[in-house]
Amino acid sequence: MALPDVRTRYLFFTGKGGVGKTSLSCATGLALAEAGQRVLIVSTDPASNLDEVLETPLGATPTQVLPGLFALNIDPEAAAAAYRERMVGPYRGILPDAAIRSMEEQFSGGCTVEIAAFDAFAELLGLPARTVDFDHVIFDTAPTGHTLRLLTLPSAWSEFLDTNAGGASCLGPLSGLDKQKDLYAATVAELADPARTTVVLVARPEAAALREAERTRAELAELGVRNQWLAVNGVFVAGSGDAIAGAMSDRHAGALAHIPVGLNELPRSETPFVARGMVGLAALRAALQPVGMAPEACAMPDVALPAGLAPLIDQLAATGHGVVMTMGKGGVGKTSVAAALALSLARRGHKVLLTTTDPAAHLSWTLEQAEPNLRIGRIDPAAEVARHRDDVLARAGADLDPNARAMLEEDLRSPCTEEIAVFHAFARTVEEGRDAFVVLDTAPTGHTILLMDSAEAYHREVLRTRGDMPEAVRQLLPRLRDPDFTRVLIVTLAEATPVHEAERLQADLRRAQIEPFAWIINQSLLASGTVDPVLAARVGYEAPFIRRVGELAMRVALVPWLAEAPVGGAGLVGMVKA
Amino acid sequence: MKKLEVFDPAMCCPTGVCGVDVDPALAQFAADLKWVEAQGVAVARYNLGQEPQAFAANPAVIAEMQAGMERPPILAVDGQIVSTGLYPTRAQLAQKLGLVATADKPRIRIPVVGGCEPGSGCC
Repeated sequence: MALPDVRTRYLFFTGKGGVGKTSLSCATGLALAEAGQRVLIVSTDPASNLDEVLETPLGATPTQVLPGLFALNIDPEAAAAAYRERMVGPYRGILPDAAIRSMEEQFSGGCTVEIAAFDAFAELLGLPARTVDFDHVIFDTAPTGHTLRLLTLPSAWSEFLDTNAGGASCLGPLSGLDKQKDLYAATVAELADPARTTVVLVARPEAAALREAERTRAELAELGVRNQWLAVNGVFVAGSGDAIAGAMSDRHAGALAHIPVGLNELPRSETPFVARGMVGLAALRAALQPVGMAPEACAMPDVALPAGLAPLIDQLAATGHGVVMTMGKGGVGKTSVAAALALSLARRGHKVLLTTTDPAAHLSWTLEQAEPNLRIGRIDPAAEVARHRDDVLARAGADLDPNARAMLEEDLRSPCTEEIAVFHAFARTVEEGRDAFVVLDTAPTGHTILLMDSAEAYHREVLRTRGDMPEAVRQLLPRLRDPDFTRVLIVTLAEATPVHEAERLQADLRRAQIEPFAWIINQSLLASGTVDPVLAARVGYEAPFIRRVGELAMRVALVPWLAEAPVGGAGLVGMVKA
Repeated sequence: MKKLEVFDPAMCCPTGVCGVDVDPALAQFAADLKWVEAQGVAVARYNLGQEPQAFAANPAVIAEMQAGMERPPILAVDGQIVSTGLYPTRAQLAQKLGLVATADKPRIRIPVVGGCEPGSGCC
């Protein structure tokens, strides 16, 4: 199999969730280790499955997987907890308990998690001594939007620290940040040094995925990270006359023939479709073999297939309004499912707002033509920040003298402002579910959970705060928890990693007292009717996961892998009819 | 030289923009402190969330917090606590410090706690 040709000390694998970043980074690490190099693989994903792929329980320090191959997880939550304890611990028993509690609460939000994770990451990249034992350090980074934020932060913060001379710095709980300035500068320098760092953009051979990779390429290049590699993962070439196999083969070939120009200029590797996925060391090793694997003979498994989307839409439509959220790992087709549900509800005569909080949104590509009852919106962080800033200056800045106003403006440039601004926009969007349907294609899992977390923190805060709180914010968490108002749909694929991650997502939601309404298994080859020998091997692999979803979910709908791509009106209607 | 110390509750930032909602009084107070400084007073501002050592080192401040967490913000002039539970206006600051206030503005509202509040999701 063709792997990225690595020369640099640092490697980042980035791409939409579910494209195989973890598997490819592990296969690359394994190949390097077997060639005699000492390799450290690091995951910064809040929902890391590195342990699963390497079949080794991992922690926050390097664990040996095989001779020469080590791995660790940077768990943002744990990093935040450790940071919190470092800040608060020394004052226990010295300051009153109530003061300690108020300090702890100050360190409990999304910003601390994000910053603490970055801090741990910067220590690996910016302090060479920490990784001196290794020839290569491979980062299996978090999904795209999150990765970009993580990668954008160093330059944004260096800039912020440079320009914020007034001392009224709103850097939240990371007051020690300027002490870390040299470390962050070193991190930025390492990322932008082509002799030290390669960023591998991982994408499936599909048009939307390649457009997404192109967007990432351009953004990283703008940040000065120009040493990039394109790894196309899961390329399928039909070896039989089966209709589904032919359609998949054509779709992949078509996408590769029309690869965006900027991406096309990058060095590229292509890895073939592997029926059984690449989870576990044996599967990784098998994938390293240069010859194609003979597919194992596989009888059609005996599993009862759940119904399609239509009955689910009947149930959703019955209430006449409310919020429908599709959640799940990126790359499972949440966007298409959300668009298909929104279109169906609109065509039944309901007013529908289809919107997204995903920074990597491409809803507009999926649904192009105008529908009378359907509006398409997006929560755009940059636009929301501008709106929030104007709003704050208009309300709070009006009666201030020029000095106070200048200080307020300065603080509004803080990285915290985005989180607050997006949160307010999310609350407003949910409020629209009072008299119409709002279909939300939410951000990838990790970020969504942070959003839920801040909803929880806000909820507690809002209960204590009197005064001019927007009603939408006050009502947000009660609305998300109301099963008659909000229906959470968990979208997954009948594969190991997506099902495990969806299971974790369901547990997180339940902790936030939100009960998922249904699970949707998307792109099922088993239901597609394929008889192609390679795809049939994948079919056998799906059955236990379809059974598992049946055990986990209150309701299940299943959408087959469709020969016609779920794009545009006809394609989306096809998803519902199938 | 007189010294003014401000012991804030745990909060993100001195102007409070990280809170659920922004309090104009906080932004104005930050500017008023600049004014006080320009009048030749040494100003030190401590945030419980970020500089707990300043609180821990001051028994009078600890005693106030033991009496209740609504006591911060606590203001001290030359070590003597002169105000708790609110952010004074520029006129009040001037009076406590023996200065002549200029260009003061009426306060919109005086908060009991800081605008950039704990658990606001930003921190």
